[in-house]
Amino acid sequence: MKCTTSLCTMILILAFGATSAWAAGPTDPQIAAIVVTANQVDIDAGKLAKSKSQSQDVKEFAQRMITDHGAVNKAATELVQKLHVTPEPNPTSESLQKGGDDNLAKLKTLSGAAFDKAYIDHEIAYHEAVLSALDKTLIPSAQNAELKALLVKTRPAFEAHLDMAKQLQSKLSKSGA
Amino acid sequence: MRSWLPCLGLAALFLSSDITAADEQGPTKGAVHTVVIENMQFTPAELSVHRGERIVWVNKDLFPHTATAASHAFDSGGIAAGSSWTYVASKAGEYAYGCTFHPTMKAILKVQ
Repeated sequence: MKCTTSLCTMILILAFGATSAWAAGPTDPQIAAIVVTANQVDIDAGKLAKSKSQSQDVKEFAQRMITDHGAVNKAATELVQKLHVTPEPNPTSESLQKGGDDNLAKLKTLSGAAFDKAYIDHEIAYHEAVLSALDKTLIPSAQNAELKALLVKTRPAFEAHLDMAKQLQSKLSKSGA
Repeated sequence: MRSWLPCLGLAALFLSSDITAADEQGPTKGAVHTVVIENMQFTPAELSVHRGERIVWVNKDLFPHTATAASHAFDSGGIAAGSSWTYVASKAGEYAYGCTFHPTMKAILKVQ
């Protein structure tokens, strides 16, 4: 897979950045900001793909990302309100946002099969990066039991999305798209 | 008057045992099976039921799922987070089913 600079930066920051930025790991308010941003950038990419792709498969996948990540964010927002935690922007959440913005900017210059391929390739890298961050940083660092439980509960969805994206990538390449 | 009381008690006993007997006579009508949808999985992944029994799919995930037979013998449509869908198994057979939203989710329903 071709790795763009913004994508590589995002993966590195997600996988390792959080641990190096905070020796003791991110705090719960910082984790909350990372979770909300991570979901939001995928919702934004999904909205663009749903409106721009010509492929029914890609449109359906994009809709699933919008629905599922939207639901995770709704649950996360409700939980942080209940816990009186204010999401605190931090280098990881800011880099995620920048990675998401760069991805959107790139996707907007593409169309047709090139758009579908770039969108799905990025979805695979994004879900792999988030899974790595969940396992190595976010879940181990979460202090509040309910926040930790929410992170654990969302993990299988990221895994399923990754499998779905990989299957779609393979289908697109077979169809010559 | 006092001699009636044991009779009444006995009648009540019969009555209650009748109700139980009626329930037990029709297990294929009364039985309800639950499939929990959680963590992107159907649990149990394989379920055997008798014709006429009810199956309730309970979605405990944060987002919608479906329970859709590959043959389209049944299709729940979207089951919202925290909601459930009930299906009465009417035809014998083995039904592979899954979630149309998340193709990685698969399970089997066996109707005897």
